[in-house]
Parts: sequence; structure tokens; C-alpha cells
Amino acid sequence: MLFILDLLLMLIHLTASILSAVINTVIRPRLKCIEGELCLITGAGGVLGRLFALEFAKEGAHLVLWDCNTAANEQTAALARELGVQVHVYTVDLSQRHSIYHTADRVRQEAGQVSILVNNAGVVAGRRLLECPDELLERTLLVNCHALFWMTKAFLPQMKSSNHGHIITVASALGLFSTACVEDYCASKFGAVGFHESLTHELHAENLNGIKTTLVCPYIVDTGMFEGCEIRQELRSLIPPLEPLYTVQQSMQAILSEQQMICIPRLMYIPFLTRALLPWEANVATYRFMGGDKCMMPFIKNTEQKIANGDVNHK
Amino acid sequence: MMIILAEFFVVILKVLWAFVAAGAKWVVKPKEKSVAGQVCVITGAGSGLGRLFAKEFARRRAILVLWDINSQSNEETAEMVRQIYHELDSPVPKDGPVGGVEEVPPFQPQVYTYVCDVGKRESVYSTAEKVRRDVGEVDILINNAGVVSGHHLLECPDELIERTMVVNCHAHFWTTKAFLPKMLELNHGHIVTVASSLGLFSTAGVEDYCASKFGAIGFHESLSHELKASEKDGINMTLVCPYLMDTGMFKGCRIRKEIEPFLPPLKPEFCVKQSMRAILTDQPMVCTPRIIYMVNFMKSILPFEAIVCMYRFLGADKCMYPFLAQRKEAMNNNEAKNGI
Repeated sequence: MLFILDLLLMLIHLTASILSAVINTVIRPRLKCIEGELCLITGAGGVLGRLFALEFAKEGAHLVLWDCNTAANEQTAALARELGVQVHVYTVDLSQRHSIYHTADRVRQEAGQVSILVNNAGVVAGRRLLECPDELLERTLLVNCHALFWMTKAFLPQMKSSNHGHIITVASALGLFSTACVEDYCASKFGAVGFHESLTHELHAENLNGIKTTLVCPYIVDTGMFEGCEIRQELRSLIPPLEPLYTVQQSMQAILSEQQMICIPRLMYIPFLTRALLPWEANVATYRFMGGDKCMMPFIKNTEQKIANGDVNHK
Repeated sequence: MMIILAEFFVVILKVLWAFVAAGAKWVVKPKEKSVAGQVCVITGAGSGLGRLFAKEFARRRAILVLWDINSQSNEETAEMVRQIYHELDSPVPKDGPVGGVEEVPPFQPQVYTYVCDVGKRESVYSTAEKVRRDVGEVDILINNAGVVSGHHLLECPDELIERTMVVNCHAHFWTTKAFLPKMLELNHGHIVTVASSLGLFSTAGVEDYCASKFGAIGFHESLSHELKASEKDGINMTLVCPYLMDTGMFKGCRIRKEIEPFLPPLKPEFCVKQSMRAILTDQPMVCTPRIIYMVNFMKSILPFEAIVCMYRFLGADKCMYPFLAQRKEAMNNNEAKNGI
């Protein structure tokens, strides 16, 4: 009998959460205040990272900025300081877990307790699998996926003891569905999504309701990271690469309203659903129609060209 | 404009057709391809699914190349395979063209064993080289090897987390790089990724395993898209996503007791039989049991809160906790340093 009662309660709860989600898409939810909180952003020297830093600064959060590129990181810090918040800057190599742990210790001593963690740093090899040096493949996996483990191990314990915190994983739409030629990126972003979801389930199971998580899955953002990537010509105006500022602002909305997940643009829920709903052959047919199957090939060619021209510096 | 509309119409037809074809396969079993004489590499062949796959392929007269980190269990599998080969070749001799002469069996499959740590790419590459030299070109690659740390994230030694990732995910990159080039050249081959339903949806306590299995699926799908786009239609890929199996790997994992009869841990033999059917009919993906397709779809469409309350009801949110507790106890009792 308890089982039947449980079942009824579950169905009620289920309906309520679906309704709530539907309502939230229409009505603007309340945004939380994060003034005075300490927010750590990885990849803060990059386009998205910098915009995140400035948005968090506008909300009054103090910042801890991590990046492997010291100069770019310092630039972000300077801009953020103009907004009146405290900023600590660290140069870190996210592919080395010792670098992460060592710097996390320094952050605790020098800046304090991190309550908001934005796992934003990301790389891509940009080479066809069979031509890609193994080190680059590994680097993508280490930075985009493994680093999440170490960051969580470094900062979650303190969040747990105060039952207060927010972990944001900036994955990608390519963590929900995949395309050709970016096997390393897809593997790493799928892995990031899997890790994030499993972690979120664990936080729920342990009733740590003070610790929130948000998964951000943007479509291709116009940061230069995937320069050259393009879908079918007729659809390009319908689904253009995202503006970085728009991406970050949408993400901030989701984060401050404690939304579990956001796809930017909302249109990305469609391929995510069709991946689960349609047979494989059907998915391939829709990809071909959208030009999604070969969209990365110009990007790969671009990267190969740059390497041939001697431009070795790639993020 | 008209062209794109026409193409859109064609896509809708293709989507509907794909459903019809998939439905038809449920009813009428498509013909299974022959793998006799083909070279089949299976990683993690020493135990669990790997061993069962080896036996199934042996029954179909494939040449088997068994990789495992554990030499003893690998040899045990090889012995079982030899036994199967022997049984296949024992039957009554046929009448030959010259009366009284025993017809020689057309082909004698063999089994080769190699000790390999698929988590280390040098090991993968050097073993692949040996295989090419000793056996020949590989037709079928079964990326089956898998491990799990068996600890809660914050208590898990970093080495175990890394190991899960490199064996379950990174290894697929190396084995593919080792064997795909020749498959592309010959436009012939089959790559099978043995992932898990925990690569489609996740649960608490197994962050390393979920991350690695999600990653393996991301890799598999991206590669599948690449092969489709390159129109190398002689190379097939199959993704195998089984629900929890009774192999001992997740021993102790338990959902709500009222639900358990409906969704018990799978018999590995059942899973392998379903997988073999999918592989031999060039099916792109197989979930066992079939209800997993539904779970996957619901997980994609429902808001997270809804999923959490369903998990709680099913006991799926904490299903791994008894498994993790058992591992911890075993570790404390035996003072063993690492999991399997």
C-alpha cells in the first residue's frame, strides 16, 4: 500500500515539476542575489570566460580568475576591477591535476571560500582523428572533462560543509548530440555532461539542497574556437553562430534563477530530443538535410591551413 | 527555396521510413552476416561480456584476437574458444569428390591472445602492431574493456578516476587509430562500442563511470557521423548500451524492491545474444532491454526535477550506494589497495 501511495505522490510531483518548467519558460523567474560571493571562473582569459567574469562582477560577486594565458587573464581582471569587485588572478594548467590542487590551496588561503564555480575552460584539437597527434586528443579530454573531476574534488568539500554553493558546467550542444570530425570534443563534452548529471544526482540523493548545479549547453558560439564551421547555406540565417554576449547573458539568467540546464538557443533541444527519439538512419537523414553532418569540415580545413602557414598557437 | 522544401519533404519521408524499417526488424529478423574467417579483436576478453562475445564469435568461426590486462583469464577465454572451434570441426566427414577421402574443413579458425593495457596508448599501438604481424588485418573491433572505480567521488583516489576514464573512453581513440586506417583503405570493417545505459542517463555515486561512458558514446557517434559523411559504406558501427548486468562489476546495485522483478539485472548471455544480432545485422545501436530506449527518451524530454522524483520513486537515485558500500567493506576487510 505504501508503494501505491508513493506512486501517487510521485505522479503528483512529476506533474508539478513539468508544469513548473513550462511556466518558467513563459514567466521570468526570480533571480538570486550573489553579492559578496566568491566566484571562480576557469578559462577567464577567453571570450566567454571574460564575459562571464564581467557579468558576475556586475552582480557584485568577487572573482577568482584561472587561465593558462596570463596576459589575457590579467586583461580580464583589469576590466573586472573597474566594476569595483575584488579579483584574484592565477595561471593554471587545467590538464595537470597537481596544478589544479595546488592553485586551489592558494585560492583558499588568499581569496577565501569559493561558493560559485564556473567550469568554462575548453579546447578542441581541430584535426581529423586519424591525423591528430595523440597529445592533442588527450589534451581535449583532460581539459574539458578530467579537469571537472579535480575542480569538484577541490571545491565541493567546503560547499558541502556549509551546504551552500553553485557549480556551473559550460559544456556544449555537442555534449548532447554529435557531428563528424570532432570526436575528441564530442567525447569530452559528452563526458562533461555525464559527470555533471551524475554529480547532480548525488547532490540530490544526499539532500544537499543548498548546492545548485547548472549545465550550460550552447550551440556554436562566435568566439573563433570553431571558426569556419557552417551548416547548410539556406539555414545559416535561421541558426547562426551565437553572439558571445547573448550566450553569457542567457547563461546568467539560468544560473541566477537556479535552472538545472539551459540550451542556447532553445532550438537545440530539438536535435537533443531527436537523438533519443529517432532511429539512427533518420538522424543521419536530418543531419544531411541541415548540413550538420559536414559542418565541421571547413573548420578542420581552416585549422590545417593555419598549421601549414606556421601559426602554431591554438587554444 | 523550392529545392529546400522538396528536400525537407524527402527528409520527412526518410524519417518515417526509418521508423517503419526499425519496426519491421522487430517482426522479421533480418539475415545475419557471416563473419567466418574474419579477424575479430575483443578488448577485455578475459571476463564478463568480453568472454561471452569471444564465444559467440567463435561459434561463427571468426578468428579471435583476445586482449586483456589479465593474462590468466584471457587464456581461460582462449581455451573456451578452442573448445568451441574443436566442436565445430568434429562433425561427420563429408563425401569428397574422390570416394573415401575425408574432406578437409574449408577453414581452420584460430585464437590469439595478447596482454594489453588499453588505458596506455603505447600498449595499444604495440599490441596492434603485433596483431597485424601475427594475424593480419582486423575486420571487427569490439571495444568492450571497462572498469569502474567503485568509490564516491570525494573519497575516490584520483588514480582510479583517471583509470576509469582512460580505459572506458580514451582507449577507444587508440584502438580506432590503430585499426581504422586499414578498414578505410579496404572499405570494410565493423567497430563495436560496448558502452552502457549509464552512458545515456546517469545516477549518483558513479561519476567517473558515467563520464567515461557518456564520452565513449560521444566518440562513437561522432565517428559514425564521420564515416557516414565520408560515404565509406563498407564500415559499420554498432553501439551497445546494456542496462546493469549480472557480471559482478556492479555487485550490490539495487533498485526499489517492488520494481526489481520488472527490471532485474540482466543476464549477460541475453545481452550478448541481443548484441550479436545487432552487430551481425549492421544495426547502428542496441539497448538491452528495450525499455532503455524509452528511459533515454524520457530523460531527454522531462525536466530534471521530474527525473529526480521518478528516480527517487524507483530507488534509482541511490541504487549504487549498496554497491559502493560493499566495495568499501571489501577494501577494508582485505586491505586491498585498488578495485578490480
